[in-house]
Amino acid sequence: MTLNLCVLTPNRIVWDSEVKEIILPTNSGQIGVLPNHAPIAAAVDIGILRIRLKDQWLTMALMGGFARINNNEITVLVNDAEKGSDIDPQEAQETLKIAEANLNKAEGKRQKIEANLALRRARTRVEAINVIS
Amino acid sequence: MAMAAALRREGRRLAQPINALQSHTSLISQDQAPHGARSISTQIVRNRMKSVKNIQKITKAMKMVAASKLRAVQTRAENSRGLWQPFTALLGDNPSADVKKSVIVTISSDKGLCGGINSTSVKISRVLHKLNSGPDRVTKYVILGEKAKAQLVRDSKKDIELSLTELQKNPLNYTQVSVLADDILKNVEYDALRVVFNKFHSVVSFLPTVSTVLSPEAIEKEAEAGGKLGELDSYEIEGGETKSEILQNLAEFQFSCVMYNAVLENACSEQGARMSAMDSSSRNAGEMLDRLTLTYNRTRQASITTELIEIISGASALTG
Repeated sequence: MTLNLCVLTPNRIVWDSEVKEIILPTNSGQIGVLPNHAPIAAAVDIGILRIRLKDQWLTMALMGGFARINNNEITVLVNDAEKGSDIDPQEAQETLKIAEANLNKAEGKRQKIEANLALRRARTRVEAINVIS
Repeated sequence: MAMAAALRREGRRLAQPINALQSHTSLISQDQAPHGARSISTQIVRNRMKSVKNIQKITKAMKMVAASKLRAVQTRAENSRGLWQPFTALLGDNPSADVKKSVIVTISSDKGLCGGINSTSVKISRVLHKLNSGPDRVTKYVILGEKAKAQLVRDSKKDIELSLTELQKNPLNYTQVSVLADDILKNVEYDALRVVFNKFHSVVSFLPTVSTVLSPEAIEKEAEAGGKLGELDSYEIEGGETKSEILQNLAEFQFSCVMYNAVLENACSEQGARMSAMDSSSRNAGEMLDRLTLTYNRTRQASITTELIEIISGASALTG
């Protein structure tokens, strides 16, 4: 009945231990996962992953990827992931400002899309900090 | 060039008086000539010893460099294995999948002097090419790295779709590799991508490995056929408009992860192979140096002995 979560990025393992519950940001909205969930393969969006350990909620900023849930094992494969507690608030705020400025400057379709993505990533990181405090 | 020619001319002009001088002195003492010949041969051996010693220094330095690079890249290669395993668990590795269009991605190094790792991956690629081509099946190459390109261009130039080099100029990172993977996916049509690389086992052993990435359509077909991929149907697919859209994304993500792992493993094997190659060549240089030193000393000893005998016998002739 225990639920194991494993968050992997190409460079390292960000999380690998037991959790009580998670809320996963997928492309079609958030899904909550409790023990004994049906097998599922989901595309993960840029967004915040919430993790519950006993009564404590943790957050993690995910940068898009995939998740697989099977047999009480959750494997989340993402391009990049950062724990909310590891993000430097000041730095994240600055990146957000830069991203906003870049979006205003962006010209052409490709640049606009890229700037938009960068902005979403920056916003997710800021949100991941603010949830805790 | 003009400078060199001038020097040569100068040398010739100088050489003549020297020759004249020698022919003059040779009239005076006859036994100078064999002595001179002997000293020339020891000179050659001495020069050779010096060059062997220098080469040994170079190979030793290269070994050190390879060892330190290996340590840096090994941890990253080991970390990248974690990402590749869940994909194999979900999608499986289907080397035997029957598809029309295969693309072989051969990964090799840009630099040489690293044992046989490049030629093994080329050999495996050739075998795969032969296995997967037939009347209505097409196989193409995508090549990473200078060395495999040089070998494959020779006999299968028409099958090379894309070749990329100088990947390792700056340290490998995921962003760079995923951009590269994207490039490959955009430029080639495929049903299955077969990535050929050397998997790093230890400093002295590398396993040539093939990992197969199927296209979304091929995955669906295999899943319907059952087998290993049949399990995929038990999963609910969440987070997209259609299943095929998700599968497309999944396949692309899988490819970039497999590529990242493959590139790192190959870089690791390259450094390991270079390390052991350089180790054995510095050992060989050492052996050669030992042999040369022995010959040199023996010749020197022999010439000293003959000279002594000459002096002693001369002296005894005078007294006797």
